[in-house]
Amino acid sequence: MDFTLTKEELLIQKMARDYARQAIYPVVEKIEKDNRVPDEILEGLAELDMFGLVIPEEFGGAGAGYISYVLAMEQIARVACGPAMIISAHNLGLGAIANFGTDEQRAQFMPKAAKGEHLASFAFTEPGTGSDPKQLTTTAVRDGDHFVINGTKRFITNAGYKGPLVVFAVEAESGQPTGFIVEKFCSGYTVSKPWDKLGWHGGDLVDIYLKDVKVPVENVLGKIGDGYPILQFGIAYGKIGMNSVALGTTLAAYEEAVKYAKEKTHRGQPIAKFQAIQLQIAEIAGLYESSRWLSYRLGWLANNPKSYRDFAREAALSKFVVARNAQEAARIALDVHGSYGLMQDYDIARIYRDAAMGPQIEGVVHMQQIILAGDILKG
Amino acid sequence: MNIVVAMKQIPDLQQIRIRDRKPVLDDVPFTFGNIDKNALEAAMQIKEKIDSQVIVVAVGSSELEDTAKEALAAGADEARLVIWEDGLESSQSARLIAAAIKQLDAIDLIMFGEGSGDNYSSQVGSRVAQILELPQVGYVSHIEFQGDVVRLTRSLEDCEQTVEVKLPAVVTVTSDINVVRIPSVTQILKAGRKPKESIEAEDLVTVIPVPLIETISNLAPEMQRKQIVVKTVQELVKVLADEGFGGRG
Repeated sequence: MDFTLTKEELLIQKMARDYARQAIYPVVEKIEKDNRVPDEILEGLAELDMFGLVIPEEFGGAGAGYISYVLAMEQIARVACGPAMIISAHNLGLGAIANFGTDEQRAQFMPKAAKGEHLASFAFTEPGTGSDPKQLTTTAVRDGDHFVINGTKRFITNAGYKGPLVVFAVEAESGQPTGFIVEKFCSGYTVSKPWDKLGWHGGDLVDIYLKDVKVPVENVLGKIGDGYPILQFGIAYGKIGMNSVALGTTLAAYEEAVKYAKEKTHRGQPIAKFQAIQLQIAEIAGLYESSRWLSYRLGWLANNPKSYRDFAREAALSKFVVARNAQEAARIALDVHGSYGLMQDYDIARIYRDAAMGPQIEGVVHMQQIILAGDILKG
Repeated sequence: MNIVVAMKQIPDLQQIRIRDRKPVLDDVPFTFGNIDKNALEAAMQIKEKIDSQVIVVAVGSSELEDTAKEALAAGADEARLVIWEDGLESSQSARLIAAAIKQLDAIDLIMFGEGSGDNYSSQVGSRVAQILELPQVGYVSHIEFQGDVVRLTRSLEDCEQTVEVKLPAVVTVTSDINVVRIPSVTQILKAGRKPKESIEAEDLVTVIPVPLIETISNLAPEMQRKQIVVKTVQELVKVLADEGFGGRG
């Protein structure tokens, strides 16, 4: 097995690291306070092609593949999770259009989104549903050459930005979940204020209210009544981005713990000289390395897919391990900081809050374990 | 206009660890020196104003083939690489770089960082100017074109000096001449498709220049916590002043 990164991959990793350190880190406090990523940061990320990184060149993207995506996202999330969350959700929506859309839909919605001029969203969750498509209550009723959609969607990222929204509704005639592409801010589309989350500030989660939203028939994504595969795709591929955010958080916890252990002194020597601290650093290093290789491997599997089932299983496994590792690494790193870790003056306080997000968002860890166990025990 | 930017391949300084005062270079990737990147950025900014071809010239081990992609991603049009696996001191590098530049047609401007990212000997630019018998202006922090004359601002210790030089010329730049832009994903992916020509040092010059300087040791400075205990603010001020942190007056 060769885990060597190519020069291009290393340069993309460095690109993201440099941008995160130079441009994002100085505004992290502002992002935390405003719960919004400044427009100039989104424009900067767009100039670097972060919004089209995995999108194939023929659809206006850079076509760099998922390993490069993981490497870049890790470095951005290492500094701030909000911007990385926006990119991840964008790719979830845009990826669904790339994989299930018609040529016309791709031509209409992808080029501007791949350039970051539009941000895509993916809307499945509702106030009464978890990860269960059978609980969908949003409806789509055909009326001539369009569908009329009514319903409420919960915890949707990028819903406050212009661009395409992939939305799931029960199509009245088939009675089955169906994907539609809605242009955000069309007539009947309104959003709530962003939820005030524990972490990942700047990555907005809002509720969307769809009231008699008219969608042309041409905007059905895939086939009518066949939304389930699109949803499965989203659930699986979305984890690449979510993993990368959790991995970046783990890296942040790791680096902050090492830095603090070398800087903080006790009785005239750095606390890194004490075995109690050394054991904690080793623990975090182990968590980071296991997360790193699972995440990079998931990127490789996305570039070299064998079967959807294999990928979904690996994505589920990777998601719950990496998200939990982030939480554990942040907890230990906070311990290394002692009572200073509780102070917002130290980055580890924010990292600790950010780490709590991964296990709960885009499919809770227990759901991933059920997917994994279901596959292992099948037959 | 044809611009050459000479860049030095060095180990990534951020990834070097020190053990027993010696740098551990195993598995440390190569990159170009930071001030060399300022020189390339300066060339790119000239190219944006005046139609130019920017050629990167570098001497180093075979990893240069990969390292050169950094310069090509940053906007250079092509790379000429001289491959030599052994270490080189400044006079050898200068002679090989000068030989590589001689093979290029009608070069107007040759740019260097004021010093390399690793040894910072600040010699190669001057030596290349001497070999090629070109005027050289060092420590440049601003470049302005006026016809075939270039007006350059030099950042010296106590003052700024403005000079004019006729092209062709050699210029070394300081790190404050610009802020190096970060290349995008597309630029990085296109870098590998840009022209890149490698030549073995033995095929470039008939005789490999012999080193004029022998490096006896390369050790990191020793740093230790001084553990000075002070009891009053006045004492702290005095200690800081004695350590050279007292500021002026």
